[in-house]
Amino acid sequence: MTASNKDSFLNLIASKLGRERIYDVQRPGLQVLAPDSYGSLTSDELIDILKEQCFFIHTQVIESNAEILQQTLDDLVAANGGGAVITSGDARFAEYGLKFANASVWEEAAGREQNILRSEAANTAIIFADYALAESGTVVVGSRPDQGRALHFLPAHYIAVIEKKRIVLRSTQAAADLNRRIQAGEPLGSSINFISGPSNSADIEMQLVVGVHGPLRAAYVLI
Amino acid sequence: MSLQTDKREFNERTTDGIGNPFMRNAVSSAQDSLKTRRLSAATTLGDWEQWRTLGQQIRQHTLKHLDYYLGQLADNIEKKGGHIYFAKTKEEASGYIRDIIVQKNAKKIVKSKSMVTEEIEMNHVLMEAGCELTETDLGEYILQMDDWDPPSHIVAPALHKDRTQIQSVFTEKLGYTGDESPENLARFARTVLRQKFLEADVGITGCNFAVANLGAINLVTNEGNGDLTAAIPKTHIAVMGMERIVPTLEEMEVLDNLLCRSAVGQKLTSYISVIGPSAAGETDGPEDFHLVVVDNGRSEILGSEFNEALQCIRCGACLNVCPVYRHIGGHAYGSIYPGPIGAVITPLLGGYDDYKELPFASSLCAACTDVCPVKIPLHEQLILHRQNIVKEKRTGAAERLQMKTAGRLLASQALFGKALRLANPASRLISRHGRIVRGPQLVRGWINARDLSQPVRQQDSFRAWLDKRKGGSGQ
Repeated sequence: MTASNKDSFLNLIASKLGRERIYDVQRPGLQVLAPDSYGSLTSDELIDILKEQCFFIHTQVIESNAEILQQTLDDLVAANGGGAVITSGDARFAEYGLKFANASVWEEAAGREQNILRSEAANTAIIFADYALAESGTVVVGSRPDQGRALHFLPAHYIAVIEKKRIVLRSTQAAADLNRRIQAGEPLGSSINFISGPSNSADIEMQLVVGVHGPLRAAYVLI
Repeated sequence: MSLQTDKREFNERTTDGIGNPFMRNAVSSAQDSLKTRRLSAATTLGDWEQWRTLGQQIRQHTLKHLDYYLGQLADNIEKKGGHIYFAKTKEEASGYIRDIIVQKNAKKIVKSKSMVTEEIEMNHVLMEAGCELTETDLGEYILQMDDWDPPSHIVAPALHKDRTQIQSVFTEKLGYTGDESPENLARFARTVLRQKFLEADVGITGCNFAVANLGAINLVTNEGNGDLTAAIPKTHIAVMGMERIVPTLEEMEVLDNLLCRSAVGQKLTSYISVIGPSAAGETDGPEDFHLVVVDNGRSEILGSEFNEALQCIRCGACLNVCPVYRHIGGHAYGSIYPGPIGAVITPLLGGYDDYKELPFASSLCAACTDVCPVKIPLHEQLILHRQNIVKEKRTGAAERLQMKTAGRLLASQALFGKALRLANPASRLISRHGRIVRGPQLVRGWINARDLSQPVRQQDSFRAWLDKRKGGSGQ
């Protein structure tokens, strides 16, 4: 929409750098520095790395499968103390035949206020991950009309369903793939979130408190 | 808050710090735990030195082409329907933000942690305009509730406070009735702040890195407050120092890995977000997105002998290993940027008039340079500052005289030999039981905390002993 004072600001920078403005820069290639210890990994090995890391970030990992997914999720919701559930509008909920009692869906038609209020009132949010990163115990999710930003932050508990084929070793692979999509002109949502476990803080005497502004607990369900 | 957090003399501030046993205890245990965590997180990344080199290369490439990448960022933000404002001074930056707020008649503002908004004195300007502003980072919220106590660390701002102090702040200011456990204090803050998020008209955040080819900003947090600030209010204003930019998500990924491990020893923090103006069909996120790019003295650093200081990614690792920070604490620096990096950049942003002592608040042990994830030669930059300060004759007259005398003595073998011979008789008057107890400023600084032996008599010196040995063996 608007860019104010751009040229005077950028001209000054160029002059401080001792040259004229430049309009074309070749970005240097990045050396990929995956830790040597990993080598080439099988899917099971990636899952082991993910599970080990999740232990350190206070995140429960449950191995499930398409047949029992509904039961797994129902058990987790009950373990969170029941209450309202909110899910994204992801097509995979229908594909896996998932339905929840006392549930709402983040949807464009509901509008800003309604979606935010529903998320705030929900005890558990359930979403599907776009990517999962084994090394850091991370799920990557993008914002869409059927999956808002606040969905990941307002509910008291957070459940991410991870299809095993979406697990990659680390952030390097996810960033490279996302950047490839950006450069190909694919429209991504306005927010890309790398979420690694529940919210936490060590602001009081450096003591870790799990559950601050975002979810108090997080669980990943692998299928 | 502004760049300057304490107008008193440097000596008064450090004396305060050294005399505060609780703060020193809190800082040393925080340093020890952060140091260990950083080290183990760095080890698991494989060849950490190669990662540091990569981080340095990315920062240097971006700084070298800063006008290009900022231009690309501006174009992409505009394309997405956002606004970008380039502010030469802090007044321009905070004035622009105030104008948006006034124009929207916004009253309630939530804010997530941002050092650059402190630098441009934004809180002050907005509160003067009649806004209710709430810091939502737990540490910053504690400081706000304690009548805007200044931060003492760039990552853990309330590091200098203990749980009892925090409990009493919450009790007094917010009617908290619980105990002093960090869990309960944090849970209480969650409840209070949740309401603030839901009511806010405008959210203001900092920016860890802007991503040029995406037209978005990257926030790295653990609490989730940054994301709520950018998700719920209809207006999001992000503020960034002009050098905090990366070409693409790929460079961001490398720097975020270095940042999280160096700052808090985590592989990745809980929330790493890349956000911009709300897209078509999305129902939350900002309808109105503004990015304010702040110069405020940075262009003077660009291309200068201090250029490498602009590589800083604000991880705070240099604070966590600094022996001087350990003893005097963050407040003694009198700046929102304490520690070794603070001693380098505060005089650059705020001038030598107010900050000429900071480059001397270092033992030059270079621990800071060793841990810096983007390889800023911090201790060398401190020496450059010292040279400038001496050249400009900004040190005290007494100190200049002492240095001149020492310089003369050390430059001449004859004078030095004479001084060695005279040292013992000359120091008799100021010594007791073999220890020097009085002396000029340089000596006083040392003997305030440690013993300084009286120089030995010439005939007892090592040189005399060696000469005797040589003679005895017939050489």
